[in-house]
Amino acid sequence: MLKINNVGKSYGPFKVLKDIDLEVADGEFLAIMGPSGSGKSTLINILGLLDQDYTGEYLLNDKSYKDTSDNLLSRIRGDQLGFVFQNFKLLTTYNVYENIEVPLVYSKTEQHNKHERVEDVIEKVGLSGKEKHRPSELSGGQQQRVAIARAIVNRPKLIIADEPTGALDSKTSTEIMDIFTKLNQDGTTIIMVTHDEEVAKYAMRTVYIRDGKLYHDAKDVFKND
Amino acid sequence: MIDKILIAFKSIGKNKNRNFLTMLGIIIGIACVIAILAVGDGFTKTMTKGMGTHNDKGRVTISFQASSYDDTTSGFTQNDVSTLEKVSGVDHVKLDSSNTEANAKIQYKTKHESTSLNKSPKHLNLYKGVGTSIDNSDMSNIFISHDLASRIFKDESALNKPLIIEGNVFIIRGIYNISDFNYRPDIYVSKDVFKQLFANQITQDIARIYVKPDVNKKSVGKRAVDQMKKFGEDKQMGHYEVSNPDQISKTFTKMLNYVTYFVALVAGISLLIAGIGVMNVMYITVSERRKEIGIRRAFGATSSDIRSQFLIESVVLCVIGGLIGILCGYGLVAIINAFLPFKAIVTGYSLAISLSVSTAVGLIFGFIPSNKAAKSPLVGLLKEE
Repeated sequence: MLKINNVGKSYGPFKVLKDIDLEVADGEFLAIMGPSGSGKSTLINILGLLDQDYTGEYLLNDKSYKDTSDNLLSRIRGDQLGFVFQNFKLLTTYNVYENIEVPLVYSKTEQHNKHERVEDVIEKVGLSGKEKHRPSELSGGQQQRVAIARAIVNRPKLIIADEPTGALDSKTSTEIMDIFTKLNQDGTTIIMVTHDEEVAKYAMRTVYIRDGKLYHDAKDVFKND
Repeated sequence: MIDKILIAFKSIGKNKNRNFLTMLGIIIGIACVIAILAVGDGFTKTMTKGMGTHNDKGRVTISFQASSYDDTTSGFTQNDVSTLEKVSGVDHVKLDSSNTEANAKIQYKTKHESTSLNKSPKHLNLYKGVGTSIDNSDMSNIFISHDLASRIFKDESALNKPLIIEGNVFIIRGIYNISDFNYRPDIYVSKDVFKQLFANQITQDIARIYVKPDVNKKSVGKRAVDQMKKFGEDKQMGHYEVSNPDQISKTFTKMLNYVTYFVALVAGISLLIAGIGVMNVMYITVSERRKEIGIRRAFGATSSDIRSQFLIESVVLCVIGGLIGILCGYGLVAIINAFLPFKAIVTGYSLAISLSVSTAVGLIFGFIPSNKAAKSPLVGLLKEE
């Protein structure tokens, strides 16, 4: 699915990411663990094609998008990727249905298919009947379900989730992780950032990031200290 | 596109008060535009309608202007008519007068006054008394204006009182009002009385020359004026000229244009200020909705999608303002019509102009804020909460 070689990023003299190598196979469920400030979000922004300003090489499905125009990149994000954020990032003035519809506004999906698609994902995340509710009328868990539905409505191959359970209690977290597991079993590749070991257990594989360096084995993380 | 228009309506509706205040400038500006155009169109229509009768084909009018204002007797004579009819290209000539009103000395008991007088129109609405006109069957009847009645008779009722005009006794049978926009003389007498007593006062100072078919009336007019300058009986007392109705309308149009320019300036300034208001509110909207922009960008919106979304929002805002402005414009025109001697009319053309202007304001003043929204770096946008 994706492959990065020697990817680095600095803000001025400060190196946020230091020569990272990582490969993610099709259908994999990868967890990236690390404390805050470790460079997780910066890495995900690069993986999610939100940030083109990095050194090294990043191949998504064997293609580099480093010099791709902003317009094309936007379309690729819309068609191939789905984002889930820690604080849900729902539009507060839109209802559930309209929030989930957002990615379809910018995709080439036929108008008559749109409604079907939205209803389909609403059922998948278990929110049937809540279409007309505003995010503020929903619990945190329900809001995150809306966000997941929005992420999958365009049927992306890759879902990038940034602390999807960060704002949820452990019971709700379990429900959300069950949804992710189900999506993964249906063939969607998932990359999830978390600092919760319980949550990371749902992933097939976990990598660790600390001070901008990536470790493939938990034992190595503190070796250099 | 439809999606974006719906989004625009939604977010405008979210901040109704703020957006209404922003629209206010546009509403005023567009209402002004509608009103100016309506007055202009109404005026032009009235003028060209009025001109139409003067501007008859195959006719040229020459007028005599006396050099002294006191001289009311000079003009064209029957001899002049014969002279004019000999000019080549002329078919026949009719004399007319630019001022058909006479001046009369009146007396009631010991009061003397000099006042304006004319023959009775075919129909007159009386304020007091009976009848609508004075016919030749009763030549001693007259109508007088309310103004004259109160001047001469003070608190007494003027109805059925005698009034001496130029030594003849008449009976007042009716009193009429004079409105601000409708000039009337102080006294109306019957047609025959007018002819007998006052016709000599009316100067025949206009000659309407009917030219033969296929003759250039401009050159006929010129030749006729030349003839009158040489042989006119009253040539010492004034001068002759071709009166050109187009010229009158030109002067009026010129005057109207100045008024139009002034009101257009007012409308322009108000639209400029409105535009700045739109720009301001769009800047606020853009910075309030950084999170939304980030979300849309993450889910596939290109920067031009974002630009067009905000641009459409700005245009929708202005067009809604424009539509309300058009309605207010109709109201304004109705009010203006209550005070105008002619009727201002709103044409489809002025509606089209108003809508284009409000669209243009939205596009011009929405462009910079929309561009700012489109150009914001994505990573920063997604950090917003």
